Amino acid sequence: MKKALQLVLFLGIISLIAGVAVGYVNSITDPIIQENLLASEIENLEAMYPDGEFTALEVSDDTGYVKGAYEVAGQGYVVKIETTGYNSSTPIIALVGFDGEGVISNLMVIQQQETEGFGTKVFEDENIQSLFVGKDLSTPSDLLSGATVTSSAVQSAVAAAQAVVSGLVG
Amino acid sequence: MWNNFKNGFIKENPVFGLYLGMCSTLAISTSLNNAIGMGVCVTLVLIASNVIISLIRKITPEEIRIPVYIVIIASLVTVCEMLVHAFMPELYTSLGVFLSLIVVNCIILGRAEAFASKNGVLASAVDGLGMGLGYTFALLLISVVREFLTTAGLQFVNPFNSTQVLWSFSIEALKPYTISLFSASVGAFLTFACFAAIFTILRNRSSKKEAK
Repeated sequence: MKKALQLVLFLGIISLIAGVAVGYVNSITDPIIQENLLASEIENLEAMYPDGEFTALEVSDDTGYVKGAYEVAGQGYVVKIETTGYNSSTPIIALVGFDGEGVISNLMVIQQQETEGFGTKVFEDENIQSLFVGKDLSTPSDLLSGATVTSSAVQSAVAAAQAVVSGLVG
Repeated sequence: MWNNFKNGFIKENPVFGLYLGMCSTLAISTSLNNAIGMGVCVTLVLIASNVIISLIRKITPEEIRIPVYIVIIASLVTVCEMLVHAFMPELYTSLGVFLSLIVVNCIILGRAEAFASKNGVLASAVDGLGMGLGYTFALLLISVVREFLTTAGLQFVNPFNSTQVLWSFSIEALKPYTISLFSASVGAFLTFACFAAIFTILRNRSSKKEAK
């Protein structure tokens, strides 16, 4: 019994020391990692909010669509989403802009390889306006005819982004 | 001690001699940059883990030595991974999961169990350095062949700043004849097999000499 206690204690002490060491290094490297992540995204973010000041946010999302979130000082939020539409080998990656109240104000596509003339219609300006901007996507809403797969895929992802932002706004 | 160090290169080269750590070797040896980055990470972790394990070898209870080693190795690898993520993001992306998988790289646990737990601190550090460099050397050989066959050139980029190419060369005349197969895992196995054969010949020769 005494032996077992000794063993547990020894392993406990080793783990404690290791944990403290890892925590210390993490406290140094974490801000740099966050900064790097932001730097890799900054070009796209600035295209959305030209004079914005961005800070990366930690958000939790169970749907798997949300790949990152940023706060734009005094202007709103940007959420990065990734979803699979009709083309299963190239996912659709987009940034969704929200204003300070959590209303969708913009959607910018970073990558997509949907069917030309059908799926790609979702990303035309007028359709972005009618499908997403100002919409509440927590309830089912209209899809784009002729591009149902793509528009429903993007809509679910944007809905996930909206849920995240509404959590931030409060 | 010098022999310990030298052993790591040819006779007991962890990759070609002991066939340890092959999973990461085959996976990341696609380019010179990856090979050097991975080699340096493994070497540093190996030296540090050997030193720490050798330091505590007299107070480590026999029954729980493996869990203790794993805790130590895992923390060192996590620290290494965080540092690479923070200061060399490009390398972090290209090494991907294999960076954190250094934890289960058998070279490290193998050396902890076979050498560091029985030898002094300095000898363990030298053993770690030798084994680490042996691993790096093996990675370099494979990656140079693979990168050259797939791109007809070699390139070494500053790991801290990915836009700065430190050293590169390429042969234009060979560009149309590149073999892209060698960037896939088949190429890794082919290259590995050839080098393993060469190393076996070298080893056999030197052991024959000793026998005489």
